[in-house]
Amino acid sequence: MSLLAQQLVLAILLGGVYVAVAIGFSLVWGILNIINLSHGAFIVVGAYITWTLFGRLGLDPFLSLPIDAAALFALGYLLQRGLINRVIRAPVFFTLLLTFGVNLAIVNLLLAVFTSDFRSVTPPYAGSGIVLGPVVIPSIRLAAFAIALLLAALLSLLMRRTRIGAAIQAVASDRDAAQLVGIDLRHTYALTYGIGAACAGVAGGLLSTVQAISPTAGEPYTLQAFVVVVLGGLGSVTATVVGGLLFGLIEVFGQSAPGLGAGYANAIAFAVLVIVLIVRPQGLLGR
Amino acid sequence: MSLTGSTSNEGNLSKQGYDMWLSWINDQGGITVGGVKHKVQIKYEDDQSKPDLSAQLMQKLITEEKAQFILGPYGSPATASDAVIAEKNQIPMVEANGAAQAIFNKGYKYTFGVLSPANKYLTGVIDMAATLSPKPTTIAMLSADDNFSVEVAQGVADYAATKGMKVAFDQKYPNGSTDVSSLVAQAKAANPDILMNSGHLAEAIAINKAAKDLGVNAKILAYSVGPSTPQFIKALGKDADYVYDGSQWTPQVKYTPAFYLGEADYVKAYKTMFKTQDDPDYHVAESTAACLALQKAIENAGSLDAQKVRDALAKLDVTTFFGQIKFDSRGLNIYKPMVVEQIQNGQHHTVFPQDVADTKPQYPTPPWAQR
Amino acid sequence: MRSRVLGVVTVAAVALFTLLPLTTTDPARAMGLPALLDRSQLRGLTTISMFVVLTSAWNIIGGLAGYPSFGNVAFFGLGAYATALLTDPDHGHLPLGVGLLASPLVPAVVALVVGFPLLRLRGHYFSIATLGTAIAFGEVINNMDFLGGATGLFPPIIRSDLLFYYLMFGAAALTVGVTWWIMRSRLGHGLVAIRENEEAAAVLGVDTTRYKIIAFVVAAALTGLAGGVFAGWNSFVNRDNVFPVDYSVQMILMAVIGGSGTISGPVVGAVGLEALIQLLAGGSGVYTQILLGVLLAVTVIFLPRGVIDFVIGRSRLTLAHFRRSLRQTSV
Repeated sequence: MSLLAQQLVLAILLGGVYVAVAIGFSLVWGILNIINLSHGAFIVVGAYITWTLFGRLGLDPFLSLPIDAAALFALGYLLQRGLINRVIRAPVFFTLLLTFGVNLAIVNLLLAVFTSDFRSVTPPYAGSGIVLGPVVIPSIRLAAFAIALLLAALLSLLMRRTRIGAAIQAVASDRDAAQLVGIDLRHTYALTYGIGAACAGVAGGLLSTVQAISPTAGEPYTLQAFVVVVLGGLGSVTATVVGGLLFGLIEVFGQSAPGLGAGYANAIAFAVLVIVLIVRPQGLLGR
Repeated sequence: MSLTGSTSNEGNLSKQGYDMWLSWINDQGGITVGGVKHKVQIKYEDDQSKPDLSAQLMQKLITEEKAQFILGPYGSPATASDAVIAEKNQIPMVEANGAAQAIFNKGYKYTFGVLSPANKYLTGVIDMAATLSPKPTTIAMLSADDNFSVEVAQGVADYAATKGMKVAFDQKYPNGSTDVSSLVAQAKAANPDILMNSGHLAEAIAINKAAKDLGVNAKILAYSVGPSTPQFIKALGKDADYVYDGSQWTPQVKYTPAFYLGEADYVKAYKTMFKTQDDPDYHVAESTAACLALQKAIENAGSLDAQKVRDALAKLDVTTFFGQIKFDSRGLNIYKPMVVEQIQNGQHHTVFPQDVADTKPQYPTPPWAQR
Repeated sequence: MRSRVLGVVTVAAVALFTLLPLTTTDPARAMGLPALLDRSQLRGLTTISMFVVLTSAWNIIGGLAGYPSFGNVAFFGLGAYATALLTDPDHGHLPLGVGLLASPLVPAVVALVVGFPLLRLRGHYFSIATLGTAIAFGEVINNMDFLGGATGLFPPIIRSDLLFYYLMFGAAALTVGVTWWIMRSRLGHGLVAIRENEEAAAVLGVDTTRYKIIAFVVAAALTGLAGGVFAGWNSFVNRDNVFPVDYSVQMILMAVIGGSGTISGPVVGAVGLEALIQLLAGGSGVYTQILLGVLLAVTVIFLPRGVIDFVIGRSRLTLAHFRRSLRQTSV
């Protein structure tokens, strides 16, 4: 029973990480109709920024999150403005290949700069936790969870309450009409992509404290973001949050599925993904 | 050799080991064959950590660069692919970085591994544990699902019973899993004396973090791959202390080498050659050992003929700074023991077997709360 | 006129790649002919042929029918495992010929079964679902002990490189031939109609479900055949070397760079890109990969219809063309 409670706690906290991983990906997919294959690489870049600031300047990993966000926003904005905008009206397939190329370039640049060594940020308070009887709530994971939800809330506010958000929504629903009322398409697209990348940067900063990172560590994150968005559905922040938490549960309880070893965890996760796709392609909360 | 890609770190260490021997042998004037000294050249190609590319490049080295003998690539998958090429071309390959036994169970005649096979990786830890008091009795094993890691875990499961220990929890996780915390929580519920991981550096770091997060107070934490590298200590800081690993070799072992350098000189030569403060880890040493085995076999054969050198390899029995090198009928070196290392105060120490150890194990590992 | 030139080039290429490797054989040497290829070049050609199979097979479902599968590597893996299981001395221990027969069959049956639900999805959703399916297959096989588990399977070593070259080259020729035949048949016209507008095709009386399934199954069978040959050639099969997601991406890249939806585009893409990869391999991998990434970006932006347009002279390689294609796709 206590194991079950512990598993549940871990699953929910892990779900928070998935929310952070997927939220920027979901935005870019939903608004720009781009499957951003370089999303995982953005996350890793964020993680390396946090790691560098922690190692060189002793900056607390949580304090470096705004810097991750700013740096990745700039990178994302420039990429969209300079590169991706040029194929945005081509079949969706092309943006897929383009972002794959960008991913390849970023990962290998990171390899050239940082080598393939695994890094991890271990602040002095790592490992402390809140003990509730037999259940431990690790404080770093709890903080990461809280920040992920905060990020989701901020993004939701941005989209609903600000002019930028309104412009982004307008572009998503009708490109030509938006252009007629004077919205700068190129700028708005780049903003959207930049915000998505910034979210990835924050996710990377969070991940560096709970996992080991290396330049090639990004691919699983892109895949996880895929699954979360498909599970939850496109088009709203809430859907991503639900998808992320759900995926956390699937991962954790998939590892202890009766009759199968934990080795089947990925297989179960992807089987669920495919089934959801077939039964409800718009996702659980998608419109 | 995987000079880039996912295992580039280990690949570059192995290359250092080959280069150590290369500069030494050529300083001696080369390998002596029938009274004549032959200078040695090693040609490298970068396989980007991809097994199929490794095979392709190996064939290229043989046909275009006229390679007469092969030194192995890094990792069990690439070694398995290259073993097929060695076999097809009938050229002996001495390898130091592919420990999966499956490679050697197929009746291949041209592949020789100087390192102890995978199933021995963590049995040293069990031997050591059996000498400690209070004697630990239960083991929780978390294993990645690649061929090497599965063999390591199987080796533990088979061996533990003979030492009166029980594997109370045994789970595989998908290779490259990013989060293992819930498995660690399950392992904790089994309340093991020994928490083991058979996987890779990234997972060893993640498991150690999760063990602290969740307060898993096992008496022994032992991971197959990871703790022996300096990165493990850099990534985890003080949390790396007390962790054990099974290692092919450590700078502290004491063997009586028949030729080449002794351990102390080897470490010194390494630090001079690569201008570093780090000690050479076992990837470096085992790679140098592969060169030594090949050199000795060529000298024993008194010929550069591939067939004769192969036969000399099969008969080889020599002690080097790396330990005894002798191959069984499958081409495996089962005669060299694995040693157990422990990280104490941020330093690697050899703690088992006693005759090669430089200090005693710090046992039991104190609970996380009291560190 | 142009088609006749193309025909001559095709026949010449086929003849060249059939005859050239023969110079490595003993009879040729006995006749005093110089060996025009060495073993490593032969190996390189075998790999190139393999990618021609994978890319052209992908083109049938991805290029003609417009269903961008990201999971075709699953069929490669299943084909490889089918052959390996039948030929591994510890399992089937049957001759390679028997093993090869199974390599297209197993993936074809699997494609038939998973095709019904998967092909109801479109666009991104189809891509992701096929990707998920491929990963799940790899993971499950890796956990099945009777399939060798994580250790994998080891078909016996057959030393003739020439044999595997001809098998792979034959598979490539077969795949291109099948594509050629499909494009001339009702099936091909139906598939293109589905790609352009599925609803309209259905209204016009195309049995869309049946056509899509047939395309998927044919692609799977051909991809599986390449997997089977690979298994015998490589003599070592496990999850990591026959289910790499990289292959799925690579075949799509090759098809798109060459020009998908045509016969020769995927062939040109596969030969060109794989030759480039092999040429650059052995250098510093990091910079090769960066170059590959940049090359990809450039191709996608400037040559959205692939290089085949230029090869067959449908478009001219001019600045004006680049400008026009940029204007069409950018905001």
